[in-house]
Amino acid sequence: MPPLIPTLPPAASSIIRTSAGTARCVAQLPQQVPIAASFSTTASRPKFSKARRLFRAWERMEGRIYRRPTGDGPQYLAPRGVETVDRPFPLNPHFKSTKVLDDRAREMIWEKIMRGGETIKAVSAEFGIDIRRVAAVVRLKEVEKDWIAKDKPLAKPYAKAVLSMLPKHFIKPNVSNPPFEPINELHVHPYTMQQIFWPTSESRHFTREDAAKAFHPTLLSADKRVPHPELVQMEREVHQGRLLWDASERFKQNVMESERKAAEKQVAKAAYEEKKTTRINTERFEFRFKQFNAENVGLRGRSRNAVGWRYGTPHDDRSKGHQIKIPTSVP
Amino acid sequence: MVVKIRLARFGRKNSPFYNIVVAHARTARNNKPLEVIGTYDPVPKPDPYDESGRLHKDIKLDSLGIMEPKYRNTEPRTPPVLPREALPQQN
Amino acid sequence: MKPRRFHGLKRPLTSINTRTHNLPVSVFTSSTARSNSADTVADKRFRALQKLRQSWNKYNLYNIFKAVNPKIGLGTTQTFFQQKWRAKGMLRTYHGEHIVERKWERMFNRRLLSVIDMDTESMAKMDGSEMAAGRGSGIDQRLRPGDKRTSRTLTPYMQMTFAPMERRLDIAVFRAMFASSARQARQFCVHGAVKVNGKVVPYPAYRLNPGDMFQVDPERVLYATGLPKLPPSDSNQPSSHAGENEATEEAVEKEAEAISEEESEVLAAKAEQDPDTTDAPEAAPVNMKPTRTQIQDLTAQAKAILSEEPLSLDLGVGRDDKASSEEAAPSDPIAGLTDSELKKLEERMEEHMREEKENPHDPSKPYVTPWRPRNYMAPFAFIPQYLEVNQNICSAVYLRHPVARKGNAEVPTPYPYETSQLAFNWYLRRR
Repeated sequence: MPPLIPTLPPAASSIIRTSAGTARCVAQLPQQVPIAASFSTTASRPKFSKARRLFRAWERMEGRIYRRPTGDGPQYLAPRGVETVDRPFPLNPHFKSTKVLDDRAREMIWEKIMRGGETIKAVSAEFGIDIRRVAAVVRLKEVEKDWIAKDKPLAKPYAKAVLSMLPKHFIKPNVSNPPFEPINELHVHPYTMQQIFWPTSESRHFTREDAAKAFHPTLLSADKRVPHPELVQMEREVHQGRLLWDASERFKQNVMESERKAAEKQVAKAAYEEKKTTRINTERFEFRFKQFNAENVGLRGRSRNAVGWRYGTPHDDRSKGHQIKIPTSVP
Repeated sequence: MVVKIRLARFGRKNSPFYNIVVAHARTARNNKPLEVIGTYDPVPKPDPYDESGRLHKDIKLDSLGIMEPKYRNTEPRTPPVLPREALPQQN
Repeated sequence: MKPRRFHGLKRPLTSINTRTHNLPVSVFTSSTARSNSADTVADKRFRALQKLRQSWNKYNLYNIFKAVNPKIGLGTTQTFFQQKWRAKGMLRTYHGEHIVERKWERMFNRRLLSVIDMDTESMAKMDGSEMAAGRGSGIDQRLRPGDKRTSRTLTPYMQMTFAPMERRLDIAVFRAMFASSARQARQFCVHGAVKVNGKVVPYPAYRLNPGDMFQVDPERVLYATGLPKLPPSDSNQPSSHAGENEATEEAVEKEAEAISEEESEVLAAKAEQDPDTTDAPEAAPVNMKPTRTQIQDLTAQAKAILSEEPLSLDLGVGRDDKASSEEAAPSDPIAGLTDSELKKLEERMEEHMREEKENPHDPSKPYVTPWRPRNYMAPFAFIPQYLEVNQNICSAVYLRHPVARKGNAEVPTPYPYETSQLAFNWYLRRR
């Protein structure tokens, strides 16, 4: 038998449910309304809870400014009495909403690299944008141009709306701009996170090079690990008395050289791979024979990089949690 | 004993993958061979970002290793006679 | 069935019959059953229960707004274990609550990435020996209080606890503002709307590598971030008793909406959509329609004329005709206009055409057209530094893993440092 609950008369009119068995109940206890639905045993309350009331009040008063975007910059939640411009989460002062590159700035970067033929590192140093970001901007712009060429519709209204809500960084042409982000950041290597007692004489000239050696014999010094060693070199030359324009010209040549070297390295690698493969074209498929050394199987013959399915090593693709093979990288 | 170069099937159901092995002719297909000298992936694949639809098959092969003197003579080899102390202890 | 929470209410009086049946059905109470003191106590408890989510929901915004520092371990008698347990529970409600704990535990890494900004100038001037001068820790310098070097800003490593989570494809899609919640982002992945490096990756758990480019179908992005279209009002006619009941609740909500709408005269003037997306009728197109049709007609005309006459004086005249009809101003089109005015009109005309082309009125779309951003989106709008996003093509590049630097951590989390610290300690598995 369904539960019986005393209710107030005005609510009863809207809440009475009918189902098998209830008629009897009602006949027995006319002042009690049985609630007996097969799925839901509770009716929603025709009145606000306090929480809901508070929420509505907030929505009307404080929350109203957040409803529609103002269209001129970010509107983050401001904790009481604190004027914050870049903190999306009031409780977390350590996360800041940083600026994003304006659409014109991206276009300009693309122009400089793809039209002007400048190097990525030079553009990165000029505008103070991370090397990887510059490369990504160019890559994304290329895709965008491709879409325009193919007449694929862009999400223009979305882009306009989102960029109006974000803090933006503008780049002015032909003037020196403030940097967008720190560009010469050094990854904190785990080797360098230990404290070492390293006795040396006081007269010893202990440089970054020596410090790296003290941490680990194979660890490179900070000068070699930073993303912009050429920029450091330029500063050094300026410090030694070379004129700025001359030093910057040399810097541009240096980065051009380093980029050329990197490209050459890639080409050489591809050529080496090509040298090792023999291609045999048939009507249906191309067979690619790759030369390798069967001796490189490790000490116990079970090296992970060894060619071929290894014997005596169980595969864990039947073990729990490995049913779906999620690729670890997409080429 | 006769030594053959042959394929040993690995992979899964419906996704074959072969090791190219050098093995005694009388041993089972997937037994441990004398040596693995390569792999053969019979599933044709396109190159990434290649629109032409041309497929290729990958074969890795130690073609120089096959020429090694140890396989030149396919006649049954007598095991080298070793002094008793040099043999592994069996317990 | 899930037991109903009694927000701000005492557990209501129930008859003996109910008790025997053991069902949590009693939600109807007379107003006298409530007491104000109970309200405040329960309110505090209620606020502590609020879960913050990765979502642009307005309720979530309210919860983030109302959230107070949990202050775990301060002035309480909780054991360290209890503190850690509570902290990790709170953080997991925000960071990938749709991911099971076991999977997250596999992802967790105690190595937290950080970077240090190496100033090129000081690197050029000095070779590091000044740091090892004196007794090995640099020559002592008397620093003035205003000096930048005196202030010790910490590197908030502990806020990086959930950094591996940001590598996941679904979370990255949400962070790039292509979806309105992490769960929606996950759905986009599963439904094949997300490509990584040009290939469809249907795995929301795919972990992005530095340099990976991911794209989301723009149509989905517009749907996720645009104002939602509501079903026509006649569709939710009460057909059953349950429907009737819902209708009563909706009526109450609508009333509240109406009140709030009346108060906000700005919104009323704009004839916008009701704030509560669940129960409000669509109002926008009514106002927009005449101008829309006008513009569409005009674009059609303009196109026709442009195709007829590529470049001549007549073109200007023809355009002028249209422009004036748009303005509905002078009877004589040419006479009243100077050259500069003509040009201005032309420009305006072109702008309208472009807007119409970019953001057309299209009833077949699953969102309100012309597209407008959804409500309460702006306070959630930020793009973390480890992503580079191009909104035009709804694509982004995962530049690198998130890192901590002096004073800030790149992982967006709504909780303070201490809470993350406790959670990090929980996952170290030395409890």
